[in-house]
Amino acid sequence: MLNKVRWWRGILLMFLLLLILRIFLPLPFVNEILVFSIYTMGCNFLLGRVGFISFGQPAYLAVGAYGTAFYLYYFGSNPYVGILIGIAVGLIVAVIVGPFFVRLRSDYFALVNLALAVIVFYLMEKVLAGITFGDNGLWFLTNIDSTPVLDLGKPSDFFIFAFLVALAVWAFYKYLDDSIYGACCLATKINEDKLEFLGYSNFNIRLLAFVIANTTTALAGALYAVYFGFVSPEITSHARCADPVVVTILGGVGTLYGPIIGAIAYTGMKDLISGMIGNWELFIGFLLVFIMLAGEKGIWGTLEPILTRFIYRTHKKRVGDSK
Amino acid sequence: MDAQLFISGVIFGLSIGSIFFLMAVGLSLCFGLMRIISLDQLLYYSIGAYITYSISLVTGSMWLGALGGMVVAGIVSFAVERFIFLRIYERNIVFTMITSFGILIGGVGVIKAIWGLIPRPVPIPMVTQVNILGTDIPVYRIVVVVISLLVYVGIWLFLNRTITGKAIRAGIEDVDHVEGLGINVYRLFTITFIIAGTLSGLAGGLHAPLIMVDPQMGLHVLAFVFMVVIIGGLGSIKGTLVSAFLVGQVVSLGSLIYAPLAQMAPFAIMLLILLIKPTGLYGSKLLKR
Repeated sequence: MLNKVRWWRGILLMFLLLLILRIFLPLPFVNEILVFSIYTMGCNFLLGRVGFISFGQPAYLAVGAYGTAFYLYYFGSNPYVGILIGIAVGLIVAVIVGPFFVRLRSDYFALVNLALAVIVFYLMEKVLAGITFGDNGLWFLTNIDSTPVLDLGKPSDFFIFAFLVALAVWAFYKYLDDSIYGACCLATKINEDKLEFLGYSNFNIRLLAFVIANTTTALAGALYAVYFGFVSPEITSHARCADPVVVTILGGVGTLYGPIIGAIAYTGMKDLISGMIGNWELFIGFLLVFIMLAGEKGIWGTLEPILTRFIYRTHKKRVGDSK
Repeated sequence: MDAQLFISGVIFGLSIGSIFFLMAVGLSLCFGLMRIISLDQLLYYSIGAYITYSISLVTGSMWLGALGGMVVAGIVSFAVERFIFLRIYERNIVFTMITSFGILIGGVGVIKAIWGLIPRPVPIPMVTQVNILGTDIPVYRIVVVVISLLVYVGIWLFLNRTITGKAIRAGIEDVDHVEGLGINVYRLFTITFIIAGTLSGLAGGLHAPLIMVDPQMGLHVLAFVFMVVIIGGLGSIKGTLVSAFLVGQVVSLGSLIYAPLAQMAPFAIMLLILLIKPTGLYGSKLLKR
């Protein structure tokens, strides 16, 4: 029981912080943070655990978003079914392209993913313009049914739903980190030859990580689609390819709570700075260079050792008292 | 497809391929010698194009502008190398990729602050057309192809006939041994980086009259340039030349057959080549360091 409490403690504290943010910040802002942090989590897992950097996460975001959008525009009206379909489509796409991509070395992987993002962009903008309406995008906000318990059309109810989903995602990733599979992922990043020697297949581990990460990203895409009630090819445009990588590094690569902290900091800064100087890229570019030169630890990566030392010290004192 | 359209398509593809080659050769050299992926080459490309625009606006000569663009791009790349890359050569390749992406985005922000968001036209310096097999071809496009071939020959001579070039080639094979011979490899790195930046600036200057100059132009060609480098194999100059002209032709002839194909077909080819040969056409196997 105590172990269980200890296991959940970090996640619950972090989500308590989000609930507090909900009180002080406007609702659309908090919703954006939640969805964005789920979006970043996939990239964070790939980069921090498996050592694959992906500049093409928007491709998988778009796959999830369009999966949901097609369902809600053409076939049905239940947002929950739409989200499930978005996830399923993301899973299928990841399973199809995964075996080809994870064979590549890390640098080629990044570039091939970037290429995939561009392919998806042109696919949605030009080739399939007959059903996606190209740059105009799909508008289906009025198609979404209001459900009795959690009405996803309302931003306040969407917040509760996204909050629960994010909590589940984080519990899942924490479980992964603690499992043998999580250890294998780290091992394949650090020394693949030794892992092979121990009898694990690098390919399988990477493929599973790729599928998990990109399904998470597709989930974020589905949430975006339901939240805005609108999808356009803009979500995979070149200018946004770097977003998840920037947020991952800003928060702290490979840390569990990095994506949340990074998403809060990123959306917050974007809001503040684009209001002040209107030249957002200049700032984010130099911030990225600065973080990388300052030791690539990011915000949470810097905070975590301080916090753990603090907690550890108080904990040790308590243990000492009981003796 | 009639013959006239075909010939003009081929020439168009050759000129686009030359631009891609000029940019990709720098990236390829940087990867081969320093093991960095320098996305900021796209920034020097934009800088070259914008300096060309400004100088040709003042003096009226685009050639002077391209020369100025080359010089400025070289100086900027030298500064970036000194202040940023010198500190991160030892880090792994993903690290350099992220950092250079930061430089690229930041540089695009600076360009927006200086020149604004509006796309700018650059006048074409040679309006004469030459008749090849009954088709009128703009001379400027042929000149671009000739310049890029001259650059290829120049780089080949530099790498094979000069001591510095030979040291760079040896460094691509094994940088530790070169250092053991008493050669200052960091000076080689700087020289290579400046060459790469200057060539990217030249590419921007030459491309400027063919398209509109806008702040996002680097990001537009980013995907194509990387495709060229991947298909050719990172670190190989010959592979870069072959794949640049291949991609140029696919883009140009593909758009004649079916417009969206121009953007999609090169990616399909890249995926196909990577599936058959994961290191690209001429890529070497020994890539770990």
